Amino acid sequence: MTTLIDCQNITVSFHDKQILNDINLQIEKHDYVCIVGPNGAGKSTLLKTLMGIAPISSGQLLLNQTPYQQLTQKQLARQVAYVPQSHQKLLTFEVEAFIKMSRYPFHSAVSEWQPEDQSAVEYALEITKTDAFRHRQMTDLSGGERQRVMIAAALAQQTPILLLDEPMSFLDPHHQVEVQQILHTLNKDCELTVIEVSHDINHASQYSEKIIALKQGKLFWQGDSADFFNTERLGDLYEHDFVFVSHPETGKPVALPSHAVGAQS
Amino acid sequence: MSQTKLLSIIGFISILTLCIAPFLGMNAQLSPEMYQHILQEIRLPRILFAFVAGAGLALCGMVFQAMFQNPLATPFTLGVASGASLGAASYIFLGFSFSLFGIDGTSFSAFLGALIAISIVYGISHFRQGFSVETLLLTGVAMSFFFSSLILFVQYLSNVTDSFRIIRWLMGELSIVGYTDLLQLLPFVGITLAFLIWSSRELNLLMAGDEIALSRGVPVKKVRYQLFLITSLCVGGIVAITGPIGFIGMMVPHMCRLLIGHDHRWLIPASFLFGGAFLVLCDTVARLVLAPSEIPVGVITTLLGGPFFIWLLIRSKSSRS
Repeated sequence: MTTLIDCQNITVSFHDKQILNDINLQIEKHDYVCIVGPNGAGKSTLLKTLMGIAPISSGQLLLNQTPYQQLTQKQLARQVAYVPQSHQKLLTFEVEAFIKMSRYPFHSAVSEWQPEDQSAVEYALEITKTDAFRHRQMTDLSGGERQRVMIAAALAQQTPILLLDEPMSFLDPHHQVEVQQILHTLNKDCELTVIEVSHDINHASQYSEKIIALKQGKLFWQGDSADFFNTERLGDLYEHDFVFVSHPETGKPVALPSHAVGAQS
Repeated sequence: MSQTKLLSIIGFISILTLCIAPFLGMNAQLSPEMYQHILQEIRLPRILFAFVAGAGLALCGMVFQAMFQNPLATPFTLGVASGASLGAASYIFLGFSFSLFGIDGTSFSAFLGALIAISIVYGISHFRQGFSVETLLLTGVAMSFFFSSLILFVQYLSNVTDSFRIIRWLMGELSIVGYTDLLQLLPFVGITLAFLIWSSRELNLLMAGDEIALSRGVPVKKVRYQLFLITSLCVGGIVAITGPIGFIGMMVPHMCRLLIGHDHRWLIPASFLFGGAFLVLCDTVARLVLAPSEIPVGVITTLLGGPFFIWLLIRSKSSRS
C-alpha cells in the first residue's frame, strides 16, 4: 500500500478558534474512507483541509510526499476533486457548461478545448447517468439530479482522489443507493480514492473500508470499518447509547440510537 | 437563440446607436462649416467618450456581480465609486496638479480612493465568517454616505471656484469632454477589457462560489485581488473625468445576463457593447429633453437605476422565500 495523503499534526483554526487539533492520519491509494463524528466535530473542515482550502496553522500535509504548499491550486486540482455540501445556492449554469468548467486545471487562458477534455466530460456524464439532462439548467434539476451533476463535475477533473461532503444528504433512499453505487464503481473499477464525510454511521460502515472518527476537532478513532461498531466506542463518540441489529440481507451490524434518552451522557 | 446571434444583434444595435446619436439634436440651420465643426469637435468625442465610459462601468459592475454572486453588488452600490469621487474631490481641493505617463493626477487620486473603498468593504465583509450579502450591501450604503459627507466636507473647505468644479463634476457630466479626455480614458477601459477577457474562465468559476472555484484550481485570493485592482483602476479612471455615473454597472450586466446567460466569454463583450450604447443613449436623452440646456447624464441613469435596484431587491427576496 502506498500512502497518498499524509496528515502530520495538522491544526486548523478560524479566527483563533481551533477547529482541528493535532490530526495525524494517512490515506492510502484506492481507499474508501468515511469521515464520521458528531455535529461540529470538524468533519467538513478536515475534508477542506485535504482539498487544500482550509487555513492550516501548524503541521505538515503531504500529497504523494509533496507538501501541499508547494503545489499551485491548479496542480492540486489535477490530483484532488471536491464535491461540496449540497448547495442551497442556486448555480445558474447549463449542466454541460458547468461540467466543462471542471477542465480548468488542464488549460491556460489561450489553450483550445481538446478531444480528451470532451471525452472526460462524456465519461463523467455517462458514469453518473446525467447525460439525459446535459442541456438543462442546473436550477431546474431535482436534488438528486443536482447531486449527480456535482459528482459528474468533480469526475470530469479526472483526479485520482475524490472528496465528498455529505453526498447523501437531501437524497431519498433510492437516490442514495444510486449515488452510492456510482461511488462504489469509481472506487472499485476506476481505482479512485474516495473520501467522504457522512452523518450516517450505518452508511459509513456498510460501504466504506476505512473510518476516521472525529470528536471535538480531535482524531477519535481510525481503522477498518468492520471494526468500527462497538457499543462503548459509539457511545463515547456521540454521547448517546446505541443498540445493534444485523442487516437482513448482508448480515452486517446496523447501529440504532437507543431511545432511552440521557442513557449515556 | 444562439449566443453568437445574440451578441451580433447587440453589436449591431450599439454600432447603430453610435452612428445615429451624433446627429440627434443637431441644428440643421447651421452653416456647413459650423455643422461640421460641432459634429467633429464636440459631438463625436463626447459620444465616443460616453461609449467607452459606459462600457467600462458595465464591465466593472459585471465583475462585482460575479465576485459577490449578487446582481445588487456593483462598484456604485458598494461605495467604491464614492471612494473614487472622494479621491478626485480631494485632488481638486488640495490643488495638486501632476500627471504620470501622460495620465492626469485626478485619475490616480480617484483610483486610490476606489482602492481604499474596496479594501474597506472587502475587509469588513471578510471580518466575520459567513457574512451575508445584506451585510455587504449595507456596508456599501454606509460607505457611500460616509464618503459623501467627506466630499461635502472637502467642498465646504474649498474656495468658490474649486467648490463649483466639484459640484459640476459630482453630477456625472459628459458635456465638457473632448478628445484628450477620451485618450485619458481609453487605456483604463482597454486594459480592463483585455484583462477580463483573459480571466473569463476564472470569472465563470467564481460565480459558482469560492469553494468550487478553489477546488477546480482557481487561485481565488490572487484572482480576487487582481480583479479588485483592475476594477479600481477602471472605476477611478472613469469617475475622475465624468464624476460618479450610477447604476449602469448594475442594469447593463444584469440585462445582459438575462439575455445571453452567465458565461463570461459571451457576457464580457455583450456588457461592453451594451454598456457603451446605453450610456450614449442616456447622454443623448440628457442632451435633448430640456434642450438647449442639458441635464447631467448621472441624473438620467440614476432615475432609471433607482427603480431597477428596487425591482431587483424585491425579486431576489421573493425568489428566496
